[in-house]
Amino acid sequence: MRSEQSHDYDVELLQAVAAHDEAAETALAQLYDRYRLILFGVLVRILNNREEAEDVLQEVFLQVWRRAADFDPNRGRPFTWLVTLARSRGIDRLRSLASRERVAAMSGAEEAADVVSDAATDAIRSEQRGVVNDALSQLPEEQKRLLMLAYFDGLTQSEIAERLGAPLGTVKTRMRSGMMKLRELLSARGQYFD
Amino acid sequence: MVHEDYKEMLAAHVLSALDAADQRVLDQHLSECAECRRELADWENTAASLALSARPVEPSPHVRDRIMSAARREKQDPQPDPRAERDARSQRDPRVVPFRQSRREVWASFGQVGAIAAAVLCLVLIIWIIVLWQQNRALRRNMDFMSRDMRAMQEELNRSNEFVTILSTPGARVASLAGTGPAPDATAQLVYDRTGNAVLMANGLPRVPQGKEYQLWFIVGNRPIPGRTFAPDDVGRGELSIEIPRQALESAVFAVTLEPAGGSTAPTSAIYLRSGL
Repeated sequence: MRSEQSHDYDVELLQAVAAHDEAAETALAQLYDRYRLILFGVLVRILNNREEAEDVLQEVFLQVWRRAADFDPNRGRPFTWLVTLARSRGIDRLRSLASRERVAAMSGAEEAADVVSDAATDAIRSEQRGVVNDALSQLPEEQKRLLMLAYFDGLTQSEIAERLGAPLGTVKTRMRSGMMKLRELLSARGQYFD
Repeated sequence: MVHEDYKEMLAAHVLSALDAADQRVLDQHLSECAECRRELADWENTAASLALSARPVEPSPHVRDRIMSAARREKQDPQPDPRAERDARSQRDPRVVPFRQSRREVWASFGQVGAIAAAVLCLVLIIWIIVLWQQNRALRRNMDFMSRDMRAMQEELNRSNEFVTILSTPGARVASLAGTGPAPDATAQLVYDRTGNAVLMANGLPRVPQGKEYQLWFIVGNRPIPGRTFAPDDVGRGELSIEIPRQALESAVFAVTLEPAGGSTAPTSAIYLRSGL
């Protein structure tokens, strides 16, 4: 499967980066080329500001450069490791920025979000993206919304309850149900992403 | 909380949506529960898949260059810690004298300086206390002298007043006493009124040896009647208030001898002062 080959290749790249030898820089450049679109897309979605997102993207790859040795292929996938790192850095930056005036930036971000070429790697991602969006579309709207608020806005369950004016217990239940449903749908499609 | 409760928290945990208190208890549980840790990886994959719901965006081309050149710099100089870098720089350049103290050393040197300062302060205080104590002693001694002088002056003044008072009463009489053999320079005046109140004021008397005092005598006929004793001061001045016995008022001779302290019933020494007949 293309996905498995991709997984193995990413593991090799991360190990090459961790070695910090002659090939390390090339491996880092390749990881960047393979992940820049997805990671930058996540950061732009979180921060709604290209400059901030580019700054964090640089931080993320420098973190990869320094900490690639922390990645353990027995415990997780390169895709999950990289995406989790980027999302976490993005949320940290979002929280450190004093304002969360995202509405104003929203239209600009939409324009900035140049949709990407269909490079070879992105062809795989496009397929995976289709699977995820398909799964999300099967979730009840309020569950999907909770997952988005938590994942891209970095809100906690209490913050979400406050924002939506919903009881905390309801938020907890819906969040869990939404995640369980998503997990089911993705595993039914044999879909975890590498 | 049972195991299932923790499992239910995992989905929110991978979205980093747990509130702080929940997060703490789950972290504690995860450190102890291998099953939950295994399940966590599955949930992390699910959460990461949400990244694909974001539209892919192309970053500016210069971001790649910036990342690669920063990585290259770090590779060439693998000590990004600025403190370590500074030390390394100072070791490379022999002209640079490293001047870095760890926080503890800084506090330790503060401690040493503090100890020295405290010791100096202590010494200064001790010296100051000694000086003050000596000054205090000297002042008290001076005060003793002064008050003794004042007492003496007061007594002298009282005596003088008494002398004048007696002298100013009607019928007062004054007898002059002159120095004799052992006290050629001594003189004295005895003033007394009709009732016998008298004051003797003497000058130029020799110092008295230890255990001795001068004693006034009233000599009536050949019989000496003892009077009171007195001691002169450092310049040989002595005063005495007395009452002259009635029988000695008219025809007595007044004399002063040196007697054992407290006085004698009969003269035991030569006459130092005596009035004319």
